[in-house]
Amino acid sequence: MLEVSHLRKVYGPDPTAAPAVADLDFTVADQEFVCVLGSSGCGKTTMLRCLSGLIPFTSGEITLRGKPVTGPPEDMAFVFQDYSRSLLPWMTVRRNIAFPLRYKGVDRRAANEATEEALDAVGLAGRGDRYPWQLSGGMQQRVAIARALAYRPSILLMDEPFASVDAQTRSGLEDLLLSVKQRYGITVLFVTHDIDEAIYLGDRVLVLRPPATVGHAVTVNLPRPRDQVLTKQEPEFARLRGELFAAIDGRSVAA
Amino acid sequence: MSRTTNGAASRGLNRRALGLLLELALPVAVLVGYGVWASRAQSFYFPPLDEIGRYFNELWLFDRVGSDLVPSLVRMGAGYLASVVVGVSLGLLLGMSRVLRTAAEPVVEFLRALPAPALIPFSLLLFGSGDSSKIFVIVLGAVWPILLNSIDGVRGVDAQQLDMARAYRIPLAARVTRIILPAAAPRIFAGMRTSLAIAIILMVVSEMVASSDGLGYFVLEQQRSFAIPEMWTGIILLGVLGYVLNWLFLRLERRVLAWHFGLKGLAGPAAPRKQSGRAARRSARASSPSAPSSDGEV
Repeated sequence: MLEVSHLRKVYGPDPTAAPAVADLDFTVADQEFVCVLGSSGCGKTTMLRCLSGLIPFTSGEITLRGKPVTGPPEDMAFVFQDYSRSLLPWMTVRRNIAFPLRYKGVDRRAANEATEEALDAVGLAGRGDRYPWQLSGGMQQRVAIARALAYRPSILLMDEPFASVDAQTRSGLEDLLLSVKQRYGITVLFVTHDIDEAIYLGDRVLVLRPPATVGHAVTVNLPRPRDQVLTKQEPEFARLRGELFAAIDGRSVAA
Repeated sequence: MSRTTNGAASRGLNRRALGLLLELALPVAVLVGYGVWASRAQSFYFPPLDEIGRYFNELWLFDRVGSDLVPSLVRMGAGYLASVVVGVSLGLLLGMSRVLRTAAEPVVEFLRALPAPALIPFSLLLFGSGDSSKIFVIVLGAVWPILLNSIDGVRGVDAQQLDMARAYRIPLAARVTRIILPAAAPRIFAGMRTSLAIAIILMVVSEMVASSDGLGYFVLEQQRSFAIPEMWTGIILLGVLGYVLNWLFLRLERRVLAWHFGLKGLAGPAAPRKQSGRAARRSARASSPSAPSSDGEV
């Protein structure tokens, strides 16, 4: 689905300057849920911006379904961390969701259907006429997810989407994300700095170390559907958490 | 439950009535004070209220409306509209392009510093004494607040909204009309409000030079023929005009920028009921540490 090889990104005109992303290699399989874990400053955001075609990269290659990424791809949707800044406050929730569809060439009727379906999928049916600022933070982020879902991407990139909501809301959003991923059958690349979140959500977890190289990768062998209480009680969960913690810390890990 | 909302509603009503009373108190006091003083003073320059009122009735209901008020309004309307169109479209261009902005800045700053009335003689040479020269002067003065605020507004558009638009492949035209313009609208409206006052001033000033009708002409003509009460009616009409236009403008702003006032927690009477819950949520959000912006990470 998504292949990244030897990705390198240097900001500024000098190609020998310190890179934000040095040499990044990974692939994401169709329908896979991959979490990218890294502390702040490790190049996560730069990586995502390259992957989404928002900024050009210095060298290397990114292909999405066999096609090289040179600008924002058509079948990719992006969910930003800061929902309050990516939703448009002058549009109702419904219009926010339908907004990108018009320019994707979706006719009005299909756009309305996709919008209602996405609203329903994120549990916001009946709130379409509200404005984003009339909703709580968690609901606003659900609107952002609904907008991404209605766009019908084959891959969803998420940049720490739940980092600015409270813990309670966050676990609700995690479960919501797992259920809509199932329902829409999409691939997800999820960037986070939270180890538990990465294990709970992912099929695989990649640990990014500055300057954005994959320092460690684990496959999460936890049964699905996952459960906020039961999954996190599994010994495997604890083991993975320890392993990833060490990997982020930069200690050598005995696999 | 219903009792408390009823109580709140009637309290709100009382408060509004009280506010209205307070707002009316000073104007009424001033009018009464002037009336009493002027009727005793027998001053040539400050005629009594009833005399002004009589002339006002005679002149403006509706004898000279067509000959003086309408031409003034047409000039101001045309000048103001042109200022908005030019200011906003130039503002969009300069706001979006750093190159253009840098190139245009010295010229803009110079022209802005030029007092528009200083160009009335030139404008008369250029356009003659018709409406065009007056509209030209109005635009020359009123365009700057709109232009500068539009530039600032466009530059202040949230980068993440633009990223979102690019990620969703929104074409440029839609990005301008659906994101940049609405996002800049609060600033644009602030400029438009300042320009409204400037447009009225320049309308009057331009009509005082080489003009044969309009409110500015009227006021000056009455003064020249020592028709003092008549002169006052023109001045009062101008005051009322400014007041009404500003009031209309604020109504329009409230309507167009309803989302902005709602977002900022300044919701007016448009949405009084949900306000408390919303306000609580907003303040909760404001107090929680908001998301760190992307400058922590490159």
